[in-house]
Amino acid sequence: MPAPPARSPEKFLNLSELMNISDAEIDIRKRFLEFGPDDETRLREIAPVAEHYAQEVIDAFYEHLLAFPDMRAFFPTEQLLNRVKEAQKNYFIRLTQGNYDTTYVEERLNIGAIHERINLPLKSYLGMYNFYLREAGKRIFAALGDDRERAAATFFSLMKLTFFDMELAIDTYIDARERTIRALQQEAIRELSTPVLPFREGLLLLPIIGQIDSQRARQLTEHLLVAIRQNRAKVIVIDITGVPTVDSRVANHLVQTVEAARLMGAKVIISGISPVIALTMVTLGIDLGRILTVGDMQSGIEHAERLLGYRVERVEQDGEDEGE
Amino acid sequence: MAAERVDAVVVPIVSDADLMLARQKGRELAIALGFSHTDTTLLATAISEVARNIVLYAVPGEIRLHVVERAGRRGLMVVAADRGPGIPNIAQAMQDGYSTSRGMGLGLPGSKRLMDEFDIASEVGRGTTVTMIKWAQ
Amino acid sequence: MQVPILRQGDFLIASIQGALTDADLMQLREHLVQSVRRFRSRGVVIDVTVLDVMDSFAARTLRSIANMTRLLGARTVVVGIQPEIAFSMVQLGLTLEGTLTSLDLDDGLALLKSADKKRQRHSDGS
Repeated sequence: MPAPPARSPEKFLNLSELMNISDAEIDIRKRFLEFGPDDETRLREIAPVAEHYAQEVIDAFYEHLLAFPDMRAFFPTEQLLNRVKEAQKNYFIRLTQGNYDTTYVEERLNIGAIHERINLPLKSYLGMYNFYLREAGKRIFAALGDDRERAAATFFSLMKLTFFDMELAIDTYIDARERTIRALQQEAIRELSTPVLPFREGLLLLPIIGQIDSQRARQLTEHLLVAIRQNRAKVIVIDITGVPTVDSRVANHLVQTVEAARLMGAKVIISGISPVIALTMVTLGIDLGRILTVGDMQSGIEHAERLLGYRVERVEQDGEDEGE
Repeated sequence: MAAERVDAVVVPIVSDADLMLARQKGRELAIALGFSHTDTTLLATAISEVARNIVLYAVPGEIRLHVVERAGRRGLMVVAADRGPGIPNIAQAMQDGYSTSRGMGLGLPGSKRLMDEFDIASEVGRGTTVTMIKWAQ
Repeated sequence: MQVPILRQGDFLIASIQGALTDADLMQLREHLVQSVRRFRSRGVVIDVTVLDVMDSFAARTLRSIANMTRLLGARTVVVGIQPEIAFSMVQLGLTLEGTLTSLDLDDGLALLKSADKKRQRHSDGS
């Protein structure tokens, strides 16, 4: 019986895909750097040199790095330092092994992402590359001394590849920063525009301003459900006066939110349905089912209060202060 | 390498008695990875749904749980694999409201919403593999 | 794992203690239906505060408990659904139609009592 078809999990966890670095893009970058098969050949040819000097170069590098106090913080233990050195040695050797293909790119992106995640400053990261280039350069010229043309060409090949790597590393930093900024923005917008206001005992008011997309709907629902528990709310008034358009997707989001609230024992009234939105909904055939809807927030609140057993009366005003 | 799969826990799914074990294992791994209470619940629910599909339509199968890592972030990958009849029209199955048995459907679109990443591969006569990932925050 | 069922006057209270297998759920349904019949209960409270997940089977079973006990004259209220459970339920499209829902046990009992009173008033012809 043939095995079930499976999507390779590795394909899932692909930074190149996430960051939109396609094969075509990689190709363009190599051509821009004028990095081609000859460069690959030259680098492979000095692989033995690289392997021979790898440990030396790494040791020299870390001696340099650890002379800087703010860098020492990244290596609190001997064990960690040795692990990292080993990884760096492999990185160094990999530069001269050829096959600078999509797998190579994915590896480099991952390394960049890890450095970003531990908050290694970009200046240190690029400084590292610079150190390698100089140390490798010295040794290339020493090894190929007689053939100065070849030595220079090889050094240039290494420089092209290193810049290729740096571009990928910087991309991961930028990507991470952009994601953080987006997340913070969304958080800020959420805080500003979906307050859940305890209005009376058992009553929550949720005025929504702005468009409701699926992510916002999700945040709104989560926030509301926790608030229901915290406030022991029985009635919620969701006011959508500030929501510009209500199409079937938005309506679905609202219906889901109402259903979730009901599961926690709370009833929802949706207020703020303008005549325009009412027309749109009828035209689109959107049916909010048994969800109670009212035209404005005030009606919504009054209705909610009645449901909770409040009776709001206007007290006659005497025009005089209290007291006899 | 793109991803490191550090651990794999396999739960064979043969009958509904295995569902609880699958949920439990998922929960244990999620807690070990530091998932929030909410995320742990969502994960366990998604596991229950995809494993239940196996029980209902495609026994035997298995749930494989892998701890995965990408760019320094850890997550849990759930693979629900079976050699059942396969799904003839995946697009339709992924639409909300589609159901093959009385009223409940395959719960696939819902499971997708509960997780961060979702993929499904299916071939009629060969089987189905659902892969889902939830990342620790 | 057996779910303990307590009797409080006209009402039955079933408190789920932890994770339940499909068999446990079906046993609970059986047990509740028999108890409603035996004690002529007018209401059933099912407390799911500690339930680990509510999946499609659990939701279906709760709905069928409500349907079956209603035929025997009792209303069912499910209480204690936690925010993350409620959230995952709507993501999966699971409603608990046919059951009442309340935040917790106290609210659930209060709801059953007031629902009961309404029913009695109606049957009094008022």
